[in-house]
Amino acid sequence: MGSVVEIAPLTRLEGHGSVRVYREGSRVERVELRFSDSPRLFEALLLGKSFTEVPEIICRICSLCSTVHKVTALLAVEDALGIEVSEVTTLTRDLMLQAGMIQDHALHLYCLVLPDLLGVRGVAELARVAPDLLKTGLAIKKAGNQILETAGGRLIHPVNIRLGGLGRCLNKKELLQLRDELLKVLPAAQEAHRLFSTPFPFPDLAGPDFAALQPSASRLSAPLCRMSDGSTFAVRDYRQHMEETVVSHSNAKLSTVRGRHATVGALARLNLSPDLEKHASELFSAHKKELVGKDIRGNNLAQAVEMCHATERALRLIDRLIELGARGEQGTDTSPREGTGCAACEAPRGILVHSYAFDSRGICTWADVITPTALNQGALARDLLILARAMEGEETNRMTTALERLIRCYDPCISCSVHVLSL
Amino acid sequence: MKVAITGLTACSGCQLTLLNCEEELPELLAHCEIIYFPLAESGNVLDAQFDAAIVEGAVSTPKDLELLFKLRNASKLLVAYGTCALFGGVAAMNNGISTREELLRVVFGQGGEIPESFPPAPLVNFVSVDATITGCPPEKQEILELMAALAAGALPPTRAYPVCTECRSRENLCLLLEKRELCLGPVVQGGCNARCPATGIVCEGCRGPVREANVAQELELLLERGFGREEIERRMRRFKPEWNYGQRS
Repeated sequence: MGSVVEIAPLTRLEGHGSVRVYREGSRVERVELRFSDSPRLFEALLLGKSFTEVPEIICRICSLCSTVHKVTALLAVEDALGIEVSEVTTLTRDLMLQAGMIQDHALHLYCLVLPDLLGVRGVAELARVAPDLLKTGLAIKKAGNQILETAGGRLIHPVNIRLGGLGRCLNKKELLQLRDELLKVLPAAQEAHRLFSTPFPFPDLAGPDFAALQPSASRLSAPLCRMSDGSTFAVRDYRQHMEETVVSHSNAKLSTVRGRHATVGALARLNLSPDLEKHASELFSAHKKELVGKDIRGNNLAQAVEMCHATERALRLIDRLIELGARGEQGTDTSPREGTGCAACEAPRGILVHSYAFDSRGICTWADVITPTALNQGALARDLLILARAMEGEETNRMTTALERLIRCYDPCISCSVHVLSL
Repeated sequence: MKVAITGLTACSGCQLTLLNCEEELPELLAHCEIIYFPLAESGNVLDAQFDAAIVEGAVSTPKDLELLFKLRNASKLLVAYGTCALFGGVAAMNNGISTREELLRVVFGQGGEIPESFPPAPLVNFVSVDATITGCPPEKQEILELMAALAAGALPPTRAYPVCTECRSRENLCLLLEKRELCLGPVVQGGCNARCPATGIVCEGCRGPVREANVAQELELLLERGFGREEIERRMRRFKPEWNYGQRS
């Protein structure tokens, strides 16, 4: 007789989702991954809004990654309108992206994943059974947050980074203070990999098709996207390579890259473009066996390596900003004109693409956002089915626990993903 | 104190603000028993009785409504947490301009199924609300004040002064009068310590209207400075769809 096991709501991840496992006896027939966040329809809301408003509105798509959404939106609007920004502006935005990576990975690893490793429900129990570990994680997270607070003017939905420049430049005193905070947590960021290199107990999964942006030394927005088979394509042409389809049981559309269920995020980046700072690079070399060509179970370790990298890189960016000195931003021309623009950045969870078109008054006539979790959705659904089948006959509880842990490896951000545009 | 913390139609930013109280979090967790908090806890129980339910987000689906009713019935106090819960927030900006169906069709295509949803609305349209915290996102201080007040058996303080009050006391340059920019400071709820004007950015109104906002005066001021009515209204609608533009001082 057929039965359905439902895991609802999915916990310790951002947004609303559930999983249904359809069984016939002990045999797993199919698995449904449902992203049930209410669609907030951002792309539709942006139509008719002014180019200056677009980044301010769209960053609200997500709180965890509001910084990278805002930066990517600014880059896309600037691309459309031909706006150039100064080195200080680019460095400050980059610093905020690193800070976003630090706080996001720290939150995921120490507050959401660590409870799995210690067999507790969540942060409240962690505070009782492993207060020092939790404090270490929160301290790393706080260092990232302080950068966002200072450089962004606000931690979530930052305000100081704006079209063509900055609200205000950071002064030397602030930069030195942020530097001190980062140096304080650097040792902990360098050690984090030890906690998260514990192998996950569940069976092997499929070898992923990774996709990641190829970093560019001169630009914050990456021009190229690379895949596991070595092929690349221009981000500007993303609509020819990324396809979205509506899935009846999920509010997020399924995005494929060149017809494949691509895996994006920390593990994909380390596999395809390991452009790492010194210590992080050493960590990566030491853990290569657990990371290169591995399935998504290696993602949390990859995040730990990246957390170290982002801390080191943030320090380097601060040093450069101190060297340049705080200077008044040159007035950039941000008058409206007709144009289309596109930008892609690596968000903590992977490739993020923003694309906009404006008429001659600077009014938005087209908007499109492709988020990492929409890209990961296909691979995640595939892995859930593989895992559920590999655990046929196991106690239901053991299976659902394993499925939830697998989902957390992907670190999905559901509220972001439930926003896609059809043409 | 038994607490539920969750979100409806939102970006999770208000819940995240609680997790961003890094230094206070361990102590805060020691003072309350979090029974339902799917963002950060597994093994949640919803059929318990709560002293307080802290709810983020607007109501825009039958599922949102179902969860909201459950929490209202199970909880002594219900807190509307953040701008979406209080006013509808960004998801509601086109209420009254486009139909839900139109918006859904732009995103999900003309044919085929569309998710079930209705225009995002504040919690108070459906249930009684005992306390509110505004902000997109709220200030960390405000969630700490709330938790402290609840633990002491009280409700948090409410603020009834505009962003301008704090902006003036910080001695910022007035972006509205001195730089002639479209700043919403005079009609927007303070408590953020004029965060944006202090970095040279206009108030975008993310905390919603201040009590007794003189909207008519603000409108007149902005029209005099050459902004179009459409642009002004579009900006004001960003976090709250309906304003009383006709109100006089």
